[in-house]
Amino acid sequence: MTTALDVQTKMAEASPEVKAIHRRMLRRQRLGRALVYLVGILISLWVLIPIWFIASMALTTPAEVRAYPKGILPFIPLSTETMRFFLNSRGILPGLRNSITVALITLVLSILIAAPAGYALSRFLFRGRDAFRLAILAVRAFPIVVLSIPLAVVFLRVGIYDNVYSLALMHTALALPTTILVLSSVFSSIPYELEEAAMVFGCSPAQAFRYVVLPLVMPGIAASAIFTFVLSWNEVFAATILTIQNRTLPAQVLVTLNQSSEPYQFAGGFFMMIPALIFIFFIRRYLFNMWGQISK
Amino acid sequence: MTSASAPKSRKKINWAPYLLILPSLLYLALFFGWPMVQGLILAIREEGAVLGLRSEADRNSTIAGSLPRGMQVSILNRQGNPIPQGETLQGGQLTEIWYKVRGQDIEGQLIEGWTPERRIRVRESDENGVPVAGTVRSILSATADPLTRIYFQADESSEVIGQMEARTAVEILDQATLELWFLISGDSGNQTVEGWVPSRYLNIFEDETQGRIEEGDTSQFTTRYLERMVNDRFFWPALRTTLLLIVLIVPAQFVLAIIMALVIQADLKGSGIFLYVFAIALGVSDLAVGILWYSIFTQSGYLNSILQGLGLINSPNIYLSADTRYWILIAIWLAELWRATAIVMVIVVAGMQAISREVLEAAEVFGATLWQRVRYIILPLLRPSLQVALILRTILAFQVFAVVIVMSGGDIMTVLANETYRQYYDQRNNNLAAAYASFILLLSLITAFFYLRAVRTQEEVAE
Repeated sequence: MTTALDVQTKMAEASPEVKAIHRRMLRRQRLGRALVYLVGILISLWVLIPIWFIASMALTTPAEVRAYPKGILPFIPLSTETMRFFLNSRGILPGLRNSITVALITLVLSILIAAPAGYALSRFLFRGRDAFRLAILAVRAFPIVVLSIPLAVVFLRVGIYDNVYSLALMHTALALPTTILVLSSVFSSIPYELEEAAMVFGCSPAQAFRYVVLPLVMPGIAASAIFTFVLSWNEVFAATILTIQNRTLPAQVLVTLNQSSEPYQFAGGFFMMIPALIFIFFIRRYLFNMWGQISK
Repeated sequence: MTSASAPKSRKKINWAPYLLILPSLLYLALFFGWPMVQGLILAIREEGAVLGLRSEADRNSTIAGSLPRGMQVSILNRQGNPIPQGETLQGGQLTEIWYKVRGQDIEGQLIEGWTPERRIRVRESDENGVPVAGTVRSILSATADPLTRIYFQADESSEVIGQMEARTAVEILDQATLELWFLISGDSGNQTVEGWVPSRYLNIFEDETQGRIEEGDTSQFTTRYLERMVNDRFFWPALRTTLLLIVLIVPAQFVLAIIMALVIQADLKGSGIFLYVFAIALGVSDLAVGILWYSIFTQSGYLNSILQGLGLINSPNIYLSADTRYWILIAIWLAELWRATAIVMVIVVAGMQAISREVLEAAEVFGATLWQRVRYIILPLLRPSLQVALILRTILAFQVFAVVIVMSGGDIMTVLANETYRQYYDQRNNNLAAAYASFILLLSLITAFFYLRAVRTQEEVAE
């Protein structure tokens, strides 16, 4: 700000040539900014227009969905009929319940298991730390989803096949590497000096963690938990392989996709997107913590 | 406690970090390492490929030879063997129930011995349904022995202790379940092998003279599944499509992601909204994205609606059919570009945040254009991030699944993950599914190898 003011005061006493150059520079800057806005808006449209389309289909009457040419909201009647039809279809409400159960168990399990490891990675230098980090990165790079085939065979043998709890175990394995890395970066962002100070004032390490670190990392942990929830909510391959009767919502939609009508499909597609639309908004500031960490 | 900022002061090993990482290590070993090994084993090992034939109808007797699964054999003889205590019935097991009875034999003596269930008509059962009394059945056949033999043990080869007439009343004291064993013979190579096997490994045909080996009792390493996978008519199309999609999607994604990142890094007013909008796709599943783009490309979808509205077409085009595979490819391409660019964008932004502002400002002062700044400063400094994003994206692209199913029903166009699913779900062939899964793992392993190297160079760069 001060530099801008300086420039302005200096500009007042500058020669006409300098003023002209300055004007050109400003114009170029403004032009550049406008260009960036334009590009940003174009990309936003590329993201949003398809969502608008599917939202239009999901939030109107089934008759409008079947109509051709298709209209879009707000030019077609707004109605909850299509969505109600989808939600009342066979297997959808139980699927929804299963999805939420699986996602919640996954969230709790992965945070409980990952938090200590993330803390260890951020606070301790120990022999094997790099090896552990590399192992986590390597696991992160694996298509863990294809492990659902052998897991299905094993679960079948042990008798926990087709069960929301065993699916949650699989999803936890899926989420764990990312969660560990993210939580480690969240802990790293809290200076160790704070903990040290608490211990100087007589806290035990556990108390220092409980009363000083935990409140500070809560938002980061919450963001990571939300992301884990979305990951489990979205996962379809393992869910389809590991369940038959107790399908999660995406698995149910996928399996019935070929025999279902367009209102069902579109309402289902939009319904599954809703958590993303809500949650990404809350965790957008943590995204770089999350995914940037992978490349660090 | 040793902190990262004040390390290496103590010689004594601090166990705290090891205890802290232990749960995650155990968990990953259990749900990542172990299933991975199991998957590989499933892909190359055939359970019950060979059935061992015993020289006598006894599981402890010597092995007379072996025959492969699926072979048709002739049945020469049968025998019932008591099922050992504590063993439950298994699938495919043929059993025979014998009763221990007490009653008068033809000589009027009271005897106690075993006879097959089929010779006794149960007249009375206790409250648990266990038979307690019955009569000997009459045999109507002209050739059969009208008398019923009573054996010393529940075994046709044991001593006959007496015979009973039809309709003799008997007490039923006990019952035993026998597993049938069969003496079979079949051709192995150019010699005939003969031996006893338990019924659960066989499928006996109607007349009890022929049967087929349903399952073996020993496993064998085999390349059969791998060969079958490679010769599967969907394998090469799936591999081709998977690789083609990677080649088509990844470069476009990177261009788009870098543009997105530049927009966000320009730090304009409202860049928070841009970030939110650009990142939405990060939380959307490939199934939902597939449906979303399906609503555009389906015959009565938005693309046709718009074209018709503009008067460019008179009747709706068909895009997603076997005759227009390139349209399916385009639809998948757009859907994946829409969905998975967000991840690359986030990694690239994180990388850009690490580039110092001074460098960029200096370049601007010296009159570098935007293109020059991108080309000569941002891209070279971003290289490590880009490498990591590239490899991560490639590995994720091996798993493309639901989008393809939505766009093509999983038939017209297929990918490796879809074949894994099809083998498991439609064909019920775990081994072939595991072979596909292992193949995807192998491809990813190769990619991950480069990934780890990239990470390492990155850490060197960071230092």
